[in-house]
Amino acid sequence: MAHVSIPMYWRTIPQRYSLVGYKCKKCGSVNFPPKGVCKYCSASSEFEEVKLSGRGKVHTFVLISAGGAPPEFAEQEKAGGQYPVAIVQLEEGPKVIGQIADINPKDVKIDMPVTTELRKIYTEEGVIRYGFKFVPAGK
Amino acid sequence: MKKVAIVGAGQSRYGEFPEKGIKELFFEAYSDMSKSVDKNFDPKAIEAAYIGNLGSGGFQLGNMSALVAEYVGLSYIPTMRIENACASGGYALVAAIMDVLSGTHKVALAGGVEKMTDVSGLKQKYWLGVSGDTEYERLAGTTFAGLYALIAHRHMHEFGTKREQLSMVAVKNHKNGAQNPKAQFQREITLEQAVKSPIVAYPLNLFDCCSTTDGASAVLVCDEEVAKKYTDTPIYVAGFGTSSDYLAIHDRVNTTTLEGTRKASERAYSMAGLGPNDIQAAEVHDCFTIAELLAYEDLGFCKKGEAGKFLEEGHTQIGGDKPVNASGGLKSKGHPIGSTGTGQAYEMFNQLRGTVQKPARQVKGAEIGLIHNVGGSGGTVEVTIMRR
Repeated sequence: MAHVSIPMYWRTIPQRYSLVGYKCKKCGSVNFPPKGVCKYCSASSEFEEVKLSGRGKVHTFVLISAGGAPPEFAEQEKAGGQYPVAIVQLEEGPKVIGQIADINPKDVKIDMPVTTELRKIYTEEGVIRYGFKFVPAGK
Repeated sequence: MKKVAIVGAGQSRYGEFPEKGIKELFFEAYSDMSKSVDKNFDPKAIEAAYIGNLGSGGFQLGNMSALVAEYVGLSYIPTMRIENACASGGYALVAAIMDVLSGTHKVALAGGVEKMTDVSGLKQKYWLGVSGDTEYERLAGTTFAGLYALIAHRHMHEFGTKREQLSMVAVKNHKNGAQNPKAQFQREITLEQAVKSPIVAYPLNLFDCCSTTDGASAVLVCDEEVAKKYTDTPIYVAGFGTSSDYLAIHDRVNTTTLEGTRKASERAYSMAGLGPNDIQAAEVHDCFTIAELLAYEDLGFCKKGEAGKFLEEGHTQIGGDKPVNASGGLKSKGHPIGSTGTGQAYEMFNQLRGTVQKPARQVKGAEIGLIHNVGGSGGTVEVTIMRR
């Protein structure tokens, strides 16, 4: 099953709540999500934790409609209609994936500036899962 | 280097078969393969079996390769299940080729099987999400349609690829699949139907997505020394290549290139001493229509960004200079995950021998063909070049 179990979710809380990135001590690039070995230089597994700004630009996005949502998100789609999911290029370099909130899906554009906020993602196994979502910048 | 030949290939019908499980489906493919061997077929000569499979519909997750092998009468030989998501079959083929190349065995079976319609649609989506990046992509609310839509949207943005061009892939492949008696959907569709089908994950709509399918396939791989014992027209493995890539699209440097396809095909071309211009027929992994366009570019059939135009100009139609997915592709033939790679080998074996079931689907005179199998959104890729 592709559901995200509570322990699996718990292990990624620093990324989901606080956008903690991992700056390679050798090449200085920021890995997000974390890797065992730096994905940019492949030569170091020592990192310094850095908090990412959450500011970035929409690199690409999709509007998830009925039939395209995983079962754990089907309710959200049913209640609110299609929802946008974007890959955002952050100022610090890494690309991240997340939903875009507080916007009419039809108004989402590639290259639009966004920031990140802590939001409710969904409820599974009786536990509300929080994490980052993107919102239009300057709102 | 030693040469490896394919001397037999079989495929079950692809579709929805409530009366058949993985054993029965695999037996159908195996029997079909045995009948395709021109002479002296002997099950006792098969020394090993490699079986591509993702989840058996949740029915037999452990030891399934031994199960399907003994069901078809292959007992007491080494068997192995190969799992690389939707590229499981392709990797099973490569495992059998490497086995024979190593000299360990002279005759090995490569096959694949998937039973996808035993579970409800809801469970299906749980199950199928397991091959992407679960931690981040899944928790953002995407399935594979959503992931390929992210790629498609960026491709449209960077290169001006049109939504209609995505639909044209579906129209072409359904036209071919209509001539394939083993395809899941043996019917043509119009461009209007394809363009106007319901949105699943914009920019992808229903007709941009392949379906869920039951099916199996089997390919008999052997050392060239013994190939002529089984047939006067073996098909040779000219080269093969595989590559992994970052599972999550956000981890990749380039969103509009499947680097796994580029690397795997470079390795296959290099081993074969051939290039994209030499390929006369190809079966590529069109799980979503955008995936076929990416394949044109990443396999080197056309320049990056020009796949839409390449398709519109008709190069990839049967009768064009680079016919792609004459079988109907995953789109129309169906996509029983573990079987897809060896199913492509089955099609190419017949294309190169001139033995496809209906003349309308035959790529005339093709002597060199390429098959391309992708796992997930590109996390694993297999490419094999076959020649007469």
